[in-house]
Amino acid sequence: MKTLVHGRSMRGLMIIVFAAAAGCVAGGGYDGGAEVGYDVGFYEPFGYDYGGWGPGYGVGPPGRGFDRGRGGGHGAPHPAYRPAAPSRSMPSLPTRSRNR
Amino acid sequence: MASRYRCSLGALCMLLIMATAVIAAPTFVLPPLVRPASTEHHPGKVIWTDLVTPDIAGAKHFYGELFGWKFNDVHIGASDYSVALLNGNPVGGLYQRAVRPGEQRQPAWLTFIAVRDAAAAGRNILAHGGKMLTPTHSYPDRGQQAVFADPQGAVFAVLQSSSGDPEDVLAAPGEWIWSSVLTHDPDTDAAFYQDVFGYEVFEVPSNDGSTHILLSTDDYARASLNALPADAAKRHPHWLNFVRVDSATDTAARAEALGGRVLVKPFTDRHGGLVAVIADPAGAPFGLLEWTDTDSKQGAK
Repeated sequence: MKTLVHGRSMRGLMIIVFAAAAGCVAGGGYDGGAEVGYDVGFYEPFGYDYGGWGPGYGVGPPGRGFDRGRGGGHGAPHPAYRPAAPSRSMPSLPTRSRNR
Repeated sequence: MASRYRCSLGALCMLLIMATAVIAAPTFVLPPLVRPASTEHHPGKVIWTDLVTPDIAGAKHFYGELFGWKFNDVHIGASDYSVALLNGNPVGGLYQRAVRPGEQRQPAWLTFIAVRDAAAAGRNILAHGGKMLTPTHSYPDRGQQAVFADPQGAVFAVLQSSSGDPEDVLAAPGEWIWSSVLTHDPDTDAAFYQDVFGYEVFEVPSNDGSTHILLSTDDYARASLNALPADAAKRHPHWLNFVRVDSATDTAARAEALGGRVLVKPFTDRHGGLVAVIADPAGAPFGLLEWTDTDSKQGAK
């Protein structure tokens, strides 16, 4: 009887230890677990071209004082996004340098 | 009975050893984004980039020579990762991911956008048509991050930094200064990013007839959305990040000498400075952007 209790206790303890170890490894939510390594390395699809920008193509940030109304309009009359209020001026990059 | 007891005890010992080994396994430790840690948070700001490349040694040589970056290596398990530093400050990461023989992959810089809650951001991204590529994962000191594709297919990551977000200062030459999303449909993509990150959205006047959109938070420009060129079938939506340089022309020439390719020759952008796009020797594209304190010259006309 004593041995039987011992055996059951042992099995129970083993389950608890295993569950505790598993709990330490796997987190909640979206966490996929503490893998050894880095798991965000993604390659882009292969076989596509980059560049090909024509004259007038602009990607950079506007300079300070950039006029929102300058140039021709081109966007959708009713865009899917909520446009900034007309009173808002065009934002640019920070001007403050890092203190070093 | 005694032997059965001894057997159970042995099994328990083995389990304990295995559990200890798993718990004590080395974790992938990335440096904090901000030292000392701050309470600043700038959701929507691009706060980190990671290069995924099959040749980390070649990448270190190329970017080190081009921008003066130094590198701190992190070797854990099967992963090779290196933190790029400029003047002692981390500017990005280089991650080696093997490409199997015969396999063709496109190396790229992965863009990390600041969020307050990575798990909540993930749910929000999925609810608005994005796709999860890697679920939220915690890294000691760094925070929680996950990788997604927007509804058009452009890949990006979110990062809930545990040390706060970098302050809003003007990038120094050699640091990342700007990001763009080149996509099939900037209009609907802008709605996606606005819904997910709370951006204020501005249409930017342009002279080429295509759609140019600006994303902003905290009254600062964070990124632009641009329509892919007319031959868009040959092009995949992607994020593109730009390093500030003193001379895009000189840097592009140096990049070619180091084994890179010029994808877009230096041209004058709307802020009046030159912009160019380069591919590193492994093919990862990135931009060069000149920016001076007087970069309001074109808009102020």
